[in-house]
Amino acid sequence: MHSILAVDDSPSMRKMVSFTLTGAGYNVVEAVDGQDAYEKAQTQAIDLVLADQNMPRLDGLGLTRKLRENPKFKTVPILILTTESSDQMKQAGRSAGATGWLVKPFDPVRLIEVIQKVIR
Amino acid sequence: MAEHTQEAAGGGADFDLSQFYEIFFEEAGENLDQMEQMLVGLDLSQADDEALNGIFRCAHSIKGGAATFGFRDVTELTHHMESLLDKLRRHEITPVPQMVDVLLESADASRSLLARHQNGGQGEVPPTAGLVQRIAELAAGNVPAAVAPAPVAAPAPAPAPAPVVAAAPPAEPLPPGVRRLTIHIGPLPQPELADALQDLFRDIPGLGTMTPLESAQTDRRSYDVTTSSSNEDLLDLFVFHVAKELVDIREEAAAPAEDPLAAEEARAAALDQAAAQGRPATPPVAESESYGFFHEPAALAPAAAAPARAAAPAPAAAAGAASQSSLEATSIRVAVSKVDQIINLVGELVITQAMLAQNSRALEPALHQQLFAGLADLDRNTRDLQESVMSIRMIPMSFVFNRFPRMLRDLANKLGKKVDFVTQGEATELDKGLVEKITDPLTHLVRNSCDHGIEMPADRLAAGKPEHGTITLAASHQGGSIVIEVRDDGKGLSREKILSKARERGLNVSDSMPDSEVWQLIFAPGFSTAEVVTDVSGRGVGMDVVKRNIAALGGTVDIDSDFGRGMKVSVRLPLTLAIMDGMSVRVGDEVYILPLSAVVESFQVQDDAVSTVAQGAQLVKVRDEFMPVIELERLFQVPPSVDNGGSGIMVVVESEGSRAALLVSELLGQHQVVVKNLESNYRKVANVSGATILGDGKVALILDIGALVRRTRH
Repeated sequence: MHSILAVDDSPSMRKMVSFTLTGAGYNVVEAVDGQDAYEKAQTQAIDLVLADQNMPRLDGLGLTRKLRENPKFKTVPILILTTESSDQMKQAGRSAGATGWLVKPFDPVRLIEVIQKVIR
Repeated sequence: MAEHTQEAAGGGADFDLSQFYEIFFEEAGENLDQMEQMLVGLDLSQADDEALNGIFRCAHSIKGGAATFGFRDVTELTHHMESLLDKLRRHEITPVPQMVDVLLESADASRSLLARHQNGGQGEVPPTAGLVQRIAELAAGNVPAAVAPAPVAAPAPAPAPAPVVAAAPPAEPLPPGVRRLTIHIGPLPQPELADALQDLFRDIPGLGTMTPLESAQTDRRSYDVTTSSSNEDLLDLFVFHVAKELVDIREEAAAPAEDPLAAEEARAAALDQAAAQGRPATPPVAESESYGFFHEPAALAPAAAAPARAAAPAPAAAAGAASQSSLEATSIRVAVSKVDQIINLVGELVITQAMLAQNSRALEPALHQQLFAGLADLDRNTRDLQESVMSIRMIPMSFVFNRFPRMLRDLANKLGKKVDFVTQGEATELDKGLVEKITDPLTHLVRNSCDHGIEMPADRLAAGKPEHGTITLAASHQGGSIVIEVRDDGKGLSREKILSKARERGLNVSDSMPDSEVWQLIFAPGFSTAEVVTDVSGRGVGMDVVKRNIAALGGTVDIDSDFGRGMKVSVRLPLTLAIMDGMSVRVGDEVYILPLSAVVESFQVQDDAVSTVAQGAQLVKVRDEFMPVIELERLFQVPPSVDNGGSGIMVVVESEGSRAALLVSELLGQHQVVVKNLESNYRKVANVSGATILGDGKVALILDIGALVRRTRH
């Protein structure tokens, strides 16, 4: 079973994502912000990171950069949840090392679809 | 769970998002609270980035959730708030008080919108168009008041006097991927709003160029734009300043086919199409940008399929990182009903334990040593368990206190007063049920202090006081109670005014009354000492209601006042409503419980001390004071006990400043009782406030002393 690290500071979003992914057969590890996610990523095997962009302490792109420094996370897919899909955001996402982005709001079906493209 | 509005039917085919609504409402409420607190506490002269980011994040979170769960009106309003806050945190505009005002009002409106959804669409829709308009103007750097400082960003340049002639755009070839567009915007009530779009092009690197073109109509603007961004991206950016519907984008030259960005877009679109194969309908164009990949995901799949299992040793947890989010990581949210269920069960356990303890008394300790040791353990564990469980329901007073800074800010502004607000002991904990019930009375007291206590700034200066009045809200534990004080350094109560007002109202007063009794007069129904009736504290309805509500919680209110210096109202409450210190008394063969807090004293009755007056009412003389006697045996129609030889015992009780003597057969003892609600389990019974189960398994009624004392007045 694949493990997904779901990172969002909003409890309702976290719960929704977690419920959706668990229902689709993934093991979900929840984290409340980038810092929490980074710490959890050190001790647990993660197959994909799904991180909100705007979070306190450490944001999604900050988390991406930090994870990419670790050889263990060089190739783990990281998807950024964002409210904007501007070129600036894409540029920032690409240079941080993110795998892709998903614009909020999204519906659960779309979320699973996107994740299935990345891990099979 | 409450029904929710139809428009909130977001979500995918097989997913019912409504199960997350409640948690979202709660979260949004917390975000609004936090935003409000931070806004009220914002120092405009040196707003720090952290505070601005924090406020922005609150709006952003609400917007994200509202959009996900389909609450469109909330999404829209918070989107505008977010845009303004985004400009603030990027220092593109200078914070001014009007921004705080409009954001606070918008937070209120968001709260109303959310409440409406929570109630299944019931209730009025708060108007938000005006707020949105004001936010847009402030975001564009237009501050309505003349005193407002100029925005940091240079004002959008007025359309160049001699713009490049529209018909002759620069002829040099465009770099690959760059398109030339003509964008028309309008009609706009304030065309200047559109000029802010030029700032976007100036500030965002790589966005392109925007040159104003001459427009024939004054309410429209036209621009010549070169950019590599898609129309959707441009619209997403423009929407911060002008509505999407007002933007008309026309392409002048097609983008060359071979450009990397376009290729990537195409790839994303292809992926999207692949995803769409399993679905009947092709996703609309707008959706193709809802996600994308920077790298081909297939290339990543093998790496992902072989997940890194090597777990590095856990780094030592950063000490002292007690931020909100780390707190959240170590706490769980539980429905209050679940906690209450545990409390009830523990209550039952306490009763069972008491029953076992009582029954075991008949046994010989020497023969049942192990049983007694076990019972002693059970006793200790039960008590610890009860304490732990009760502590779950305890929440800090900051939950109540936090609402006051905003309220006082608005109120002081309205009254033209200057008020500082100080809180003490916010960490003091109180039962959640009590917190909810004490909020209204406290609100009333704080309003009174601001309205009637604190003087106008000029009057304060004339009286040699600082211009700013201070209202202090302090909470502390004192024994088994919590004491909440509302203090102000205003004008205090005027003894003469209260006495003359009391005489006007025909109350029985004398000039020699001690201060403490004079102050209590303001709790009389319809009593108000304010000379001017304001729309803030109303027409004198209030203090009596405050007192009654606090008494209903088993609490008391005391006033201390120093004329010209200020006053202090102290509210004393029990820590919890679920457990009570009681005195058990026997009446005939029945056992009743009196709240210990109401018991003043008890004494053996001398026959000659009781005198009968009109209509059979009895009075007892206690140290030169006559007080009414209530014969519980007669009141509750208890059959007289056979062994009731003595003349009985009088227990003096006090409520709302009045006393009465209850005639009982015997005092049995004092103990903590678990209060069971009679109304929810049976029905309301006159003179009884609840019930409890005694150690021997019998039910005993808890007397409502307030009601009993009130009956003697009629």
